[in-house]
Amino acid sequence: MKRLLSLLLVALMACTVVFAAGGSEKTTAVNADGTVTINLWYGAAITEAGPIPDDWVGYDILREEHGIDLHLSVLPSNESDQDVRIQAAAAGNSLPDLFMVSRPVLTRLVDQGLVAPVDDYYALMPNRTAQQYDADSIAMSTIDGHSYGFASPGSVAKNEGLLIRKDWLDNLGLEVPTNLDELMEVMIAFTYDDPDGNGKDDTYGYGAYIESDATLKGYPGARLFPILGAFGVDGLWCLEEENLGLNVYKPEFYDAMVYIRQMCEEGVMDPNWLTYKKDDFRAAWKQGRFGIMKEQNAAYAAEANYAPFDANFPDGEWIIVDPPKGPEGLASVGAYDQNYRIYAMSQDAVDAGKAEKICELLEWMSSDEGYFLCGWGQEGVNYVLDENGVPVAGDLGDNAFSGTQGQVYTQLRNMVFYNSDTELASRYPTYTTATSGKTMSALTALREMQSKYWTAAIGSGQMPTPNADVQRYYEQSLAEFLSGQRALTPENWQAFLDQFNAIGGADWNAQGVAYAQENGLVR
Amino acid sequence: MAEATAKKKERVHLKPKMHNSTVRPTRADKVFQIVVDVFMVLMLIIILIPLWSTVTLSFRPNTYIGTYLEGMFLAPWDWSFDAYKALLGNNGFLMAFTNSLKILVGGVFCALILTIPLAYVMSVKSLPGRKILTTIVLIPYVFDVGMIPAYLLVQNIGLMDHLAAVFLPGAISTYNVIIMRQFFDGIPAELKESARIDGCSEVQILMRIVMPLSKAIVMTIGLYYGVSFWNNFFNAMLYIQDSNLNPLPILLRNILMAAGMNEYVEVSAFGNAPIEAIKAASVFMSAIPMVIAYPFIQKYFTKGTMVGAVKG
Repeated sequence: MKRLLSLLLVALMACTVVFAAGGSEKTTAVNADGTVTINLWYGAAITEAGPIPDDWVGYDILREEHGIDLHLSVLPSNESDQDVRIQAAAAGNSLPDLFMVSRPVLTRLVDQGLVAPVDDYYALMPNRTAQQYDADSIAMSTIDGHSYGFASPGSVAKNEGLLIRKDWLDNLGLEVPTNLDELMEVMIAFTYDDPDGNGKDDTYGYGAYIESDATLKGYPGARLFPILGAFGVDGLWCLEEENLGLNVYKPEFYDAMVYIRQMCEEGVMDPNWLTYKKDDFRAAWKQGRFGIMKEQNAAYAAEANYAPFDANFPDGEWIIVDPPKGPEGLASVGAYDQNYRIYAMSQDAVDAGKAEKICELLEWMSSDEGYFLCGWGQEGVNYVLDENGVPVAGDLGDNAFSGTQGQVYTQLRNMVFYNSDTELASRYPTYTTATSGKTMSALTALREMQSKYWTAAIGSGQMPTPNADVQRYYEQSLAEFLSGQRALTPENWQAFLDQFNAIGGADWNAQGVAYAQENGLVR
Repeated sequence: MAEATAKKKERVHLKPKMHNSTVRPTRADKVFQIVVDVFMVLMLIIILIPLWSTVTLSFRPNTYIGTYLEGMFLAPWDWSFDAYKALLGNNGFLMAFTNSLKILVGGVFCALILTIPLAYVMSVKSLPGRKILTTIVLIPYVFDVGMIPAYLLVQNIGLMDHLAAVFLPGAISTYNVIIMRQFFDGIPAELKESARIDGCSEVQILMRIVMPLSKAIVMTIGLYYGVSFWNNFFNAMLYIQDSNLNPLPILLRNILMAAGMNEYVEVSAFGNAPIEAIKAASVFMSAIPMVIAYPFIQKYFTKGTMVGAVKG
């Protein structure tokens, strides 16, 4: 019996080896019709919409004019899912020719020799390189001195601002606060002086929610950056040479915590801020619950997002203000990073002689033809140009690039967009609000937000993250201090730091400092 | 007469108390029953709250201003059907729904076709090497093959970008095979023996004797398979690269992700319907096939899940 069982197990293992041994089918460089097949795994611009239809005119242009047979596949919308899929394909030796990849996974693929260095290929794409690949972008894809991918700019940086209800200020006869003391006075007035005049005690000074991470934002997170910025401790990491390390170690961080705690004790902070999710927070400001907040430009001013507030408060008005100055005269809207989308070339593609065609594809995408076709679709079908040369939907209905039928033709737009003025003007059109008739523009809001002072923390997104225990202890302790569960005293603060160091905080800090120094992130 | 009455009383006394309708429940019984009822009502409320929350969220209009809790009590005349209209009018949703239906039907069919014979063979006590077969079936149950070997296998047998890749790797579930085998074990051996005497082959016994007696377990296991295939996200994410073949769980995931970044993506695939309502509506709609199927299977389900509960 045992012998038979052993034989069967051996046979099973042999079957596994036989099935696993085939390897992926390699495509040859040139097809019978003279085209070169390029498999591209991309991140869709509108993840919930369908893929680019087979009748997309871009396929024909590429095939007939460039000899490229383009095969597209949409990557999962979530980055961790993308990583899983890329790594599974890598394990199966079946990476596509060109694919979007996160930097941590790219590093592993480089170690395995599965992606090709692209240093020599920038020169083949002069137009695209001028548009998209600067020194920062190339640094983002550089590993051990070689660039292993083309890093295109991601979302718009510095797109948040400190906003205050101007109508409330006017109702109470107050001025825009310029420093922390004035800010506290305004917050108290907003909380206790019935700024909306409805006779109810239903307003607060400041609204926020915990928007934290373990790379850029830290805890208590980005929504309190203007307060933390007044003390020079906005962001998880300080990447300045003289204070390099975690901001939590700086004495000013304790001072900032004291100020935020004071906001809670005075009752000027919306008490739900520790439990709010993003959507709750956004519903709250649209209900007129608080008068000061940090918000993103489109979340505040895009037509669909502003409409509920406009309907609820036709006379309401938010204005973007300078962040308040702290005791040392410091002020900042917050720390910002610049993110990139990295597209890597597989080593197999280069070995198959496809590198030049891939560069040709990317260069075409950044030509006028490719840029508008990938970004907005076909002129006259999916967009029309306004008097300023900006693509707009016009009266194209569902076929417009923003319509339900037309938007699928713009799924590749993240590969061509680089936050140009044309893109932003198209993305954030000026409109008139439905109820109050105000003229609004998320682009105007963006430009104003970007004009304020921000703290550069470029590269924070790459910084090492702590283990879950350290992060939990760090966040939980700060939450306890802010909520009053633990008295915020210098002794307790020092005890927290000691324990934080003991469980791994010091190691995390040391790793981050070393990483920042090794990767040129120190300013 | 008196003797007969006494015997009758004795018989009544001997009957189990719980099944005796003539015995009046004691106060303790009543209290116990009330506690059980209250507990069950509480459980029902706990189950209903998230369900109701999802339903009301899906009907919430874009102009809604209020808290999450208040939204649960929004009057029906204030409900908006925008989210459902947007979903049903979206090609991506219909395509994903169709793909999921194909996976569901094909998956359940394949799984049952493979599971039933295997379970039956394992239930035949006279089968030579039955224990070895059982061991072999149990090995992947104990030791998971892992993602990479499974990926390589699917790739090398040419299943990539086929809907079958979503269900074939899980078409035989050891757990379901064992449950089904337990059920087949419970069918009286005499029935099969008499069929053999009448000249039936094993296939005929399976089809003509065993299967008609096994509706409950087939429906139950079919439901198990159906739910797992309908909800399968991971296989689709891994093995389906052609976006036209994406099933509903992939789309749902994309909708959830879009909900997280809708302030950046000013244009959503679903027009002006609120993304939270879209999210809830898509969750609700994706549950509909299972909700519809369950009442038809329920009468079998209880019986099927009782298999192996009592050892005789």
